[in-house]
Parts: sequence; C-alpha cells; structure tokens
Amino acid sequence: MLTIKNLHASVEGTPILKGINLEIKPGEVHAVMGPNGSGKSTLAQVLVGHEAFEVTEGEILFDGQNLLDLEVEERALAGLFLAFQYPVEIPGVSNLQFLRTAVNTLRKHRGENELDSPSFMKMAKEKAKQVDLGPDFLKRGVNEGFSGGEKKRNEIMQMLMMEPRLGILDETDSGLDIDALKTIANGVNTLRAENRSFLVVTHYQRLLNHIVPDVVHVLAGGQIIKSGDKQLAMELEEHGYGWLGINEAEAAG
Amino acid sequence: MTLAHKTPITPLDNAFTPEGGKQLPAPLKSLRDIRSKAITGMALPNRRTENWKYSSRYLKLDPELAPLTQATGNADYRSVEGTYRLVIRNGVVDLESSSLPTGDGIDIRRFADLDDVTAQGVAKKLDTTLDHGTTQMAALNTARLEDGILIRLSADTSVDKPVYIQYVTDAGTSGSNYPRLMIEAGQGSKMTLVEEFISNGDQPVLVDSVSELLLDDSANITYIRLCMDPVNVRHIGATGVRIGANAKLDSHCIGFGGDLRRHDLQVRLEGQGGYTRLNGIALTQDRQHYDNHTAIDHVVPNCDSDENYRCLAADRSHAIFNGRIHIHPDAQQSHADMNNKNLLLSTNAEIDTKPELEIYADDVTCAHGATVGQLDEESLFYLTSRGIDRDTAATMLSMAFVHELVGQVPLEDIREAVNTRLTDFIEASFRRASE
Repeated sequence: MLTIKNLHASVEGTPILKGINLEIKPGEVHAVMGPNGSGKSTLAQVLVGHEAFEVTEGEILFDGQNLLDLEVEERALAGLFLAFQYPVEIPGVSNLQFLRTAVNTLRKHRGENELDSPSFMKMAKEKAKQVDLGPDFLKRGVNEGFSGGEKKRNEIMQMLMMEPRLGILDETDSGLDIDALKTIANGVNTLRAENRSFLVVTHYQRLLNHIVPDVVHVLAGGQIIKSGDKQLAMELEEHGYGWLGINEAEAAG
Repeated sequence: MTLAHKTPITPLDNAFTPEGGKQLPAPLKSLRDIRSKAITGMALPNRRTENWKYSSRYLKLDPELAPLTQATGNADYRSVEGTYRLVIRNGVVDLESSSLPTGDGIDIRRFADLDDVTAQGVAKKLDTTLDHGTTQMAALNTARLEDGILIRLSADTSVDKPVYIQYVTDAGTSGSNYPRLMIEAGQGSKMTLVEEFISNGDQPVLVDSVSELLLDDSANITYIRLCMDPVNVRHIGATGVRIGANAKLDSHCIGFGGDLRRHDLQVRLEGQGGYTRLNGIALTQDRQHYDNHTAIDHVVPNCDSDENYRCLAADRSHAIFNGRIHIHPDAQQSHADMNNKNLLLSTNAEIDTKPELEIYADDVTCAHGATVGQLDEESLFYLTSRGIDRDTAATMLSMAFVHELVGQVPLEDIREAVNTRLTDFIEASFRRASE
C-alpha cells in the first residue's frame, strides 16, 4: 500500500530525514518510535504534504501512485489521513461546516452521493459518541477552545468519518490520560480492516498496548535503525532508547 | 525636490447644470438653490484633500455623468419576504413598486408630496447630521436634490417589519443620481431599516446618496446598509446620525468594492445614555476600491460606542478604513471601543487603516486596535489535509474572519443572504486567481 524508498527531507535546508525505507502492506499497523527530534513527526508531515518540508531525495508510492506528485488535498482524497499532534484552532469555521465539506468532498470523489443534512448529522453524532464527544461540539469552531484531549478525540472522530486507506497518528497519545487513550485506541481499532493500514507515530509504548502493531520501527537521526515486532516496543519501554545506543540528546542531530 | 505638477482643480459643479428640483416644495427648492450656489467653484476632492487621499483618483465627474432625473429603464427590484418595500430608482421614489407600512404614527412621504410646513421642518434638519468639511459630495447631493423620502415615526411607534429600501440604479445609460433619505424617529420609536444599493446595466454611473437619521430620546434604530452595486457604479454615500438621550443605533454596513466606493458614516451622540454599535464589512477584489470613513462624536457624557470594521482585499484591490472618534470636552464617562481588522488575500492588494482619536475629556475609556494580516497557512494546511481544495479552504477561512460580524446581523433572512453573497464573492475571487 505504502512504499517509502530512500526518503530524504529537510526543513529550511537542514536535513531531517536521511534515507527512510518503509513498506506497509494492506491491513498492517506499523509503529514508528523514537526519541524527540528523531524525525518521527517530520515523516508524518511529509507523507501528507506539508510545505515546510522539502523532499530532497527518494520516493513515496501510495497504491502505486507517486505521492509526491499530489497536492495536499489530493493525498487526502487518495485515502491518506493524518491525526495531527497539534490540531490548529479555527474560530469562525464550525466543526459541522468543516466536517460536512470534507466528508462530502470525499464522497463525491469516491463517486458516492453527498450526504444531506439529516444523514450527515446522524453519522456525525454517532461518530462523536464513539470518541466521547458531546453533540454540541459540532456547533463549535474547529478545535476552538478544545482541551488537549478533546482535540485528539476530534482528530479520531474525523478519521472515523473519513475512513481513510492509511491512517497516520502523530503522537496522538501525548497528553492523554489512560481513559482517553483507551477511547481513542478503541476508535482506531474499530477502523482496522484488511484493506486499511495505520502508521502510528509515538514516543511511548503504552499506546501500543491498545493499538497492537504488526511491525515496530525505531527512528533515530532521520533513519530507521531497527525494526521488529511488538516485542521491540516492549524492550524499548524496559530499557529506554539508550539500549539501542541512541543518545537522546544527540538524536536530533 | 520640486513639485512634479499641480493637481488640476476640477470644480464640483463641473459639467452639471444647476437646473432641476422643480417638483420640490418651495423650502426644499430654496435649500437646493443655496447649496447649488455654495458649491459653485468649489473644488472636487483631489489628492491633497486629506479625507480623499486614497480615493480622489477614482472620482471623475465627466459630462456624461449628468444627473438622471427619470426613473428610466426596467431596473428591477427583488422582493424580500417579511419586509416593507420602498423602491427608489435613479434617485426617484417609485411608490407604485413599493409596499409601505401604514398606521398611526407612521408618516412616509416623498419630498415632492410634502406640504410647505412639513417641508420647512425638513429643510431645517437636512444637512444637520454631516460635517460639511468632510462630506463635500453630500453637499452636491443637496445641490442636485430631485426627490427624497421622509420617514417620520411618532413617539412610541414601532414598525412591525423591517423597511427595506432598494435603491435601484439603471446603468443602461451613463449618468448620476442623488437619492436622499430622511428619518425622524420620535421618542421611544423603533424601526429596522435596510438600505440596499443595486444596479443593472454596465455603463459608468455615479451614485451620490445621503441618508440622515435623527433619533429622538430612547428611539431604537437598526440600520443595515448593503452596498451591492456592480463595479461600474461609482458610489459615494453618506449616512449621518444624531442620537438622543438613551437612544440606540445598531448599524451594519456591508459592501462589495467597485470602481469607486466611498461611505462616510457620521454618528453624533448628543444625549446622555446614547449608544451605538457600528459594524462594517468591506470586500474588494480585482482592481476594486472601497473606502470607509467613520466618525463618532461623543458630544455629551455617559455614551458608549462600539465599532468593529473588517476589510478583505484580494487581487490588486484597495480597501481603506478611516475611523475617527471625537470625545468632546464635556463628554465624561464616555466609553468608545474601535476595532479594525483587515485581511490581505493577495500580496498585490492594499489596505490602509487609520484610527483617529481626539479626546478632550479626561474621565473616559477609549480603546482602539487595527491589524492587517493574511490567511493562516497552518489553518489552510489543516483544511486541505482533509481533502478540501485550497480555494474552498481559503473561502472558509475568509468567511471565518467576518463570521462574528455576519452573525450579528439581526435578521435571519438578511443574515443568510449576506452570508451567501459574501461567500460567492470571495470564492469567485479565489477561483479566478488560481485559474
């Protein structure tokens, strides 16, 4: 489904990713772990096309398409979805308007009927409930005044609405208490399917108790230095990143 | 340094014959003649006229802009549900196309139909709401007076539905017109007034409109002004308001740019306990222009004013906001708050904003703020990362910028209509820019 070959990316001329190779097959959940500054979030942002990052070398194939040829919105329509680490607040645009525009744009692209207002509301309320968001949140501005946990839940709620081919979670667990973590993990797990994959970026292993990965990668200094099964995450949890010879302070360099 | 060249002085009365106003009752005809004489030889605002600094270059009084005095053509009005309708075509009141409120305490008449006594009263009050030093073009309106409408509400009269005035300009041929409105709201009276300026035809036209609102004590007027003329209309409008004790003006001025758009809104708080809220939205695109000049005079103590104007300028357009607050020496305990936020949608657009505060009393609170910004890239990225195309995302963010002000437009039908028209206008601009 997703093939990353020798990916190099830099921000303002500073190389961050230095040759990433990764292959995600349909239905698989891959976790990318690593210390702060290792390039985890950059990888997530590059996949969805953030302009701040320049791809200097390598390629990304998504369902056979060259992802780097696609605009941000085209990637979303192709089935990519990023649950942001820090979702932006957009006062003045209601969640409802935003979600409806997004969902109907996607449906249109997939050749499905656009949802009318009642069917959309029904679906939105259902999905909101799934991640413990009250129905009134739909009327509020996008992420406006949301707590950290509400923002993360809103991201997963959007993912439930948009049913992507590849869901990318960028440190969705950070700042969440255990109940919220479980709620979010449940939301993600309901989406798991044979033809849907996930890339879970996280600093800690605890999320992976709830969203169990097929493959775990360790990213350091812009490269994947080790890959393994879920056991690898547990070992990391036990021994810390130092166990792999990573000096956290230098990992960013 | 040498002066490159002297700006040629164009007389205000250039190209226009002072004939006309024959239908007016004697006192108004006489006022017209006095103004005609007064402006003879006066200069058209030019680059050195401070309050026309950014706009005089678009101001041209060509011979073909001679006054239109007939309600010609089939310039069409739209009927708006749930409102009374007053149609003014080319500055001439069209009572046949109107449906006006009736009943005790409501007096609506054309200037031409006024008896001499009433006309005498109107003549005394006309031109008393505007500062003549800054509204030269309003003087031209009086000097070219052909017709006008008087709306008088007796004490404690409430008009049950909004009065929707449509100023329709037939731009099938070039020319100019001079609509005039006078509202006298008696003590404790209440009304919602909508002024909408529309036009058909594509010839160059000048509209020089003046509306004056006199609010007696405890009167309550909601004023919605929709400047929706097409680009070929050069529109210079003035709204002058005098607010009595405990009276309230809630104003919402919303408009699209054109070859020339100028609105002077001047509000005088003349009775204690008076309040005004002035909201404004101006949108410009292509090579359009929009110039809002507002002035609030706190003349007496204990009055409040809240002003909030927002401009969005796209392409190579130019938007101007000049907001003046004048706290007179006696006006202690005045509270004035002025805010102007602007959004540049293109690096080629220009926005000029200038707050002017003159405070002569010491026990007042007066706050002002002005900002010019651009669309937030992170917000754009967030929306597009959900599959929304960039033009739609930019439109959503632009509308978010005026969302609060649109939300304050008091009538749902009008609010919805405004929302749709603003959205269409902005979206068209983004689509054109990305083609």
